[in-house]
Amino acid sequence: MDKAVFLVELEDILQREEPCAENDNLEDYEEWDSLSKMAIMAYYDKNFGVKLSLNDLKNVSTVSDLIKLAGNGVQ
Amino acid sequence: MKSQFKHVKVKAITTVVPEKEINIYDEAEYYGNSVKKIDRMRKMVGFWKRRVVDDTTTAADLAIDAAEKLFENTGLDRSTIDALIFVVQQPDVMEPSTAYFIHDKLGLAQECIATDINQGCVGWVYGLYMASNLIECGIHKRILLLNGDTPSVGIDIADRNSAPIFGDAGTATLLEYSENEIKSYYCIETKSSGFEAIVSPFTGQRARFSLACNLHKDENWELLSKIRKEKITMPTGNDVLLTAGYLDGLAVFDFTVKFVPENIKKLLAYTDIKKENINAVCLHQANKQIVQAVASAAGFDTTDEKKVPYSAFENYGNNTMCSIPTTLALLDKDIKKDNILCCAFGNGLVSVSSLLNLEDTKIFDLQIFKKGSYIKTNEEYINYWRSKIKGETNG
Repeated sequence: MDKAVFLVELEDILQREEPCAENDNLEDYEEWDSLSKMAIMAYYDKNFGVKLSLNDLKNVSTVSDLIKLAGNGVQ
Repeated sequence: MKSQFKHVKVKAITTVVPEKEINIYDEAEYYGNSVKKIDRMRKMVGFWKRRVVDDTTTAADLAIDAAEKLFENTGLDRSTIDALIFVVQQPDVMEPSTAYFIHDKLGLAQECIATDINQGCVGWVYGLYMASNLIECGIHKRILLLNGDTPSVGIDIADRNSAPIFGDAGTATLLEYSENEIKSYYCIETKSSGFEAIVSPFTGQRARFSLACNLHKDENWELLSKIRKEKITMPTGNDVLLTAGYLDGLAVFDFTVKFVPENIKKLLAYTDIKKENINAVCLHQANKQIVQAVASAAGFDTTDEKKVPYSAFENYGNNTMCSIPTTLALLDKDIKKDNILCCAFGNGLVSVSSLLNLEDTKIFDLQIFKKGSYIKTNEEYINYWRSKIKGETNG
């Protein structure tokens, strides 16, 4: 998946009304809550075949970190 | 544990829900009065409506009413029931089995055995499994399986991790021995290391200062009154009672999306039934997000809401062990029912997958709980026991 496509998808996953950028700090997002983390886990599993754990998401601080977790899923 | 039964027929299922409905849009105060926030949760998780009991109704009362309605719906002669199983995690009393109370209230036969089984969200499928064993052995011909749960009672309304999720309900299921072969399959897997992920830590004897210990020592009474109102701030910012039920949402989600789909796959491999021959995937209605994540990870297409339904969650909340019967009652009437996949998962932690043939099962529409006249108010209950201990009450 193209990075730009993923950023638009991310907006939808988090149900966020503002656009997402690679350098954004997730902690600055009001929507970065447990619901979003669950949605990310489900999305990564379904679309990239990546099974994330809670710890994986605890160590994520930026959108860019999140993209790295997708492995080759997001280029 | 994998198992298959060949002589167990599920004859009828009746589910009742309380009349009182709570709509999450009426609880905006907990979301900074932001409708936008609620809309977001409605879309992501399916939060919407749930049913809750009043101040005096218990899980047993819901189950009793479900049983009465099942008798009425089917015209069954209750004296022919030879086993009563009540699955409950919030019993009326710590001892004896609340099933005896129910046995008495329903007027079941002296020869009919009665016992509780303590299970949570998996309680309906787990109960079916236990009942199926009793039937398959050839001794019991007709079993009444009752499920009841009132999660709203033990949850602090301010606890936004739990309160908007759970609803109350009761289910009665009738199982019979069938001479003709009718197959059902189960795969049960236990992950007990997750015992603390969903737990009521202060309700039993582990907390030696709880009422479950028949308190005699003053120091324990003092401890109980000291922590009674203690509130703890959750990571979400909500203040909740220390002594309320605990739910680690993220840990449960983690378990659910990894462990449960594998459990379903093992069941399917065991049955040799192809995915495309499954009529409907009735998953425990934990929430919409979880239903879709589990079904998807198990290889099912979640875009067809008729086949992978979650409307029970949206309309009645996660009514724990009654969520699959609720889902079955709401299932599209056109759906064939000879291969229904039912999978429940929850506190334990545990996952139970089953493949059921419900083609000849009478699944009645949901009915509104009618409160029994025997149910006492708090005041009446205390006075009843005062008189009883004094020797003033008979029976």
